[in-house]
Amino acid sequence: MSHSTAPTLPRRMEPNRLRDLAVSPSGFAFDARSGQSFTLNTTGRIALELLQNGASIEEAAGQLAEMCGVATEIALGATEGFVHQLARSLP
Amino acid sequence: MNTTNPTPEWRTWTIAITGMNARPDNPGPGMAVARCLREHPEFRGRLIGLGYDALDAGLYHGEICDAAHLLPYPSTGAAALEERLWEIQQDEPIDVLIPCLDAELTNFQQLLPTLRSWGVRALLPDRQSFAARGKDRLAALCAEAGVATPETRLVTDPHFFADNQENGWPYPLVVKGIFYDAQVVHGEAEARAACQRIARQWGYPVLVQRFIPGHEVNLTAVCDTESTLRGTVMMRKRAVTDKGKAWAGITIVDDELLTMAQTLTRHLGWHGPLEVEALKGEDGKLYLVEINPRFPAWVYLTHGVGRNLPALLLALLAGETPPELPAARPGTLFIRHAQEVIVGLESLAAMLTTGTQKSLAA
Repeated sequence: MSHSTAPTLPRRMEPNRLRDLAVSPSGFAFDARSGQSFTLNTTGRIALELLQNGASIEEAAGQLAEMCGVATEIALGATEGFVHQLARSLP
Repeated sequence: MNTTNPTPEWRTWTIAITGMNARPDNPGPGMAVARCLREHPEFRGRLIGLGYDALDAGLYHGEICDAAHLLPYPSTGAAALEERLWEIQQDEPIDVLIPCLDAELTNFQQLLPTLRSWGVRALLPDRQSFAARGKDRLAALCAEAGVATPETRLVTDPHFFADNQENGWPYPLVVKGIFYDAQVVHGEAEARAACQRIARQWGYPVLVQRFIPGHEVNLTAVCDTESTLRGTVMMRKRAVTDKGKAWAGITIVDDELLTMAQTLTRHLGWHGPLEVEALKGEDGKLYLVEINPRFPAWVYLTHGVGRNLPALLLALLAGETPPELPAARPGTLFIRHAQEVIVGLESLAAMLTTGTQKSLAA
């Protein structure tokens, strides 16, 4: 996959908004603003924590690629997919 | 609560609480209010349950109430209520009255000067504020206060549903009673049946509201005499009964909902407990659905998050400086459950014949 521009976080997923999500070590995530909850697998939990700490999608994908031993482009596509899925859950 | 406060008398007061009905699909708030006070670590006073029906479960629940009395139905008017309250007051002087039902509030407002002359305290909205938040006037209130609300029509005849779609009111719609009850309807037959059922119980007009897809969020608090919101707790419904009442809910922190509640209470000059019901639309907008002039049936959740609102109300009525409350932690869940109260025949007989239970043994 190639990108002409760096993927950016949707507005509703800026780090301040993402910090409304309380995430337990088991991957249970609770949105304090909407009351919505959902579960994340380990990769999703780590990706969310990186984004909450201010990482861009590319930076988060880079770290995930290293952790999981996969190509950066594969991690980037997966992280983008995760971000879009998460954005649909955050009003 | 602050244990060093110099005016601790509210902790030993006798508190009378209405709304002791507890039907699982639509419970009154009275038992939850009483339970908040009973479980408050500093409250050592007496709790008197007031109900309108001999089968109101709270009138027999000895772990929550110390005594119980029946009141005349609100439709009999303020004079009948005054007479009955005076009888009760002679028997056991009440320090604070906490009305918990919308339909009775007008009578209690009318009696407020009399109650005060008896030494009974209550924190209630005035008549203008109460009327302005009525379901039939909500649209005007929202327009004045700059708050969004689903468009609503007053309907006095079920023939409205013969040509509503042609007139710009497509299904689904929400059909609501003037005091209670609401039903989402998807077609003419269902709409007519809902309208007639609600009108039979609560009379006309019936309200017809545009259906906004989204989820409901609620806020409860107590407004002091300056109309300042105290002790706000916000909740999102996680499961509802057939009547749309919360069966499970979880605390949230929603700044937009808080701002809406602050705007409305300041605009109304509100005093006393209230519940703001709002809808978070899928369009991202927040719509006001109702303002209830009392504690909600889920008020026990406020005790659960360390913001015991009935106790806060008593502290305000005692003239205490309201204590600093801990922040309402988001993510605290309540799940309601139904429970049977076992009632001896003599207790039921006493309630049916005298309208009174002077002592409820736990």
